Amino acid sequence: MNSMNSMISDIKAALSPLETSEPAFRQIAAVVKPDGIHGALAYLKNKGFTQLCILTCIDWIEDSQFELVYILFSWTDGIHIQLRARIDREKPFFTTVTDIFPGARYYEREVHEFFGVEFCGNEDLYKPLFLELWDDIPPLRKDFDPQAYSDSKFPMRENANEFLSMTGGGDDE
Amino acid sequence: MVLDEKDNRSPWEKIGDYFSANSVWMKWYCTGCGAIEMPPTMTSRFDMERLGMGPMATPRQADVLLITGYLSTKTLRRVIYSYEQMNSPRYVVGFGSCTVNGGIYYDSYATINRLDMYLPVDLYIAGCMPRPEAIMNGFAKLIDMIKKGEARGWRHYQENYEWYKKNQLDSLGEVIIKDEFHE
Repeated sequence: MNSMNSMISDIKAALSPLETSEPAFRQIAAVVKPDGIHGALAYLKNKGFTQLCILTCIDWIEDSQFELVYILFSWTDGIHIQLRARIDREKPFFTTVTDIFPGARYYEREVHEFFGVEFCGNEDLYKPLFLELWDDIPPLRKDFDPQAYSDSKFPMRENANEFLSMTGGGDDE
Repeated sequence: MVLDEKDNRSPWEKIGDYFSANSVWMKWYCTGCGAIEMPPTMTSRFDMERLGMGPMATPRQADVLLITGYLSTKTLRRVIYSYEQMNSPRYVVGFGSCTVNGGIYYDSYATINRLDMYLPVDLYIAGCMPRPEAIMNGFAKLIDMIKKGEARGWRHYQENYEWYKKNQLDSLGEVIIKDEFHE
């Protein structure tokens, strides 16, 4: 555990995060400002966190913010670090981190497709990755209604008997 | 699909159906969780080769297309490509509740709800997922249907091609595959 404690104090000294915590065994979470992400990733990569496990996004619609989550792993120490930063939901622009972690190219395309966050500097950003010919708002935003989209595009099977009202409910006596 | 046609096969077609029912080669499209039920069905415990069924590498050599689970719109484009490459007579088997009515993905933005709107399904095997026993049962039923000339989905697709094409375009926009591996 000494390596964990020294790692946390190193991160606090070098990155000056807004908040740090330990969500689980050998895991560190740190909230940083959006413009501190690149410096933090470059610093941590030099410290041995050479693998970017995932880059994902959370839609905090009530705060009108997107939260970007970068999870790094160190194969020498066996420690996961989670870096989180919140950006404005109305102007979802961020800078690419492919110059630090080239593999982030695909994660950024995924986040762009599913949340609509634009990563300036990523050349492949507008190529379709998972969703082909998508014609609505990005589907993992909280204000997207998948049921309405499915009803408008994909016809349901019409059953001769509506079994749900026959068996379940409780209002039918 | 309503099968109201009478058996109006010629004797040669009956003979052809009899022999093709005894060596059904299949191409399975591992879309969903149903693919994991195929290895026990193929290997020694259930051993579907005793029914004359075997896996085949390409759709051009296969008689049966197995859709093993939910289909996303992206996958459905590839499935339609594969189906249209197959030689007639060709049969489609839908696995599991996802191909019947969407299953637990009934409200998904990415998956279709009814496979038979887009491809002619000869046989559904119900379950979530169907166990290998149910799959073997379904294959025995399919072989029986081929022998009796009841598996006429491929003919239905030829005769109602505009209807299928319209459904495909309504749900998919385009059936053309455009991704970075096909540029």
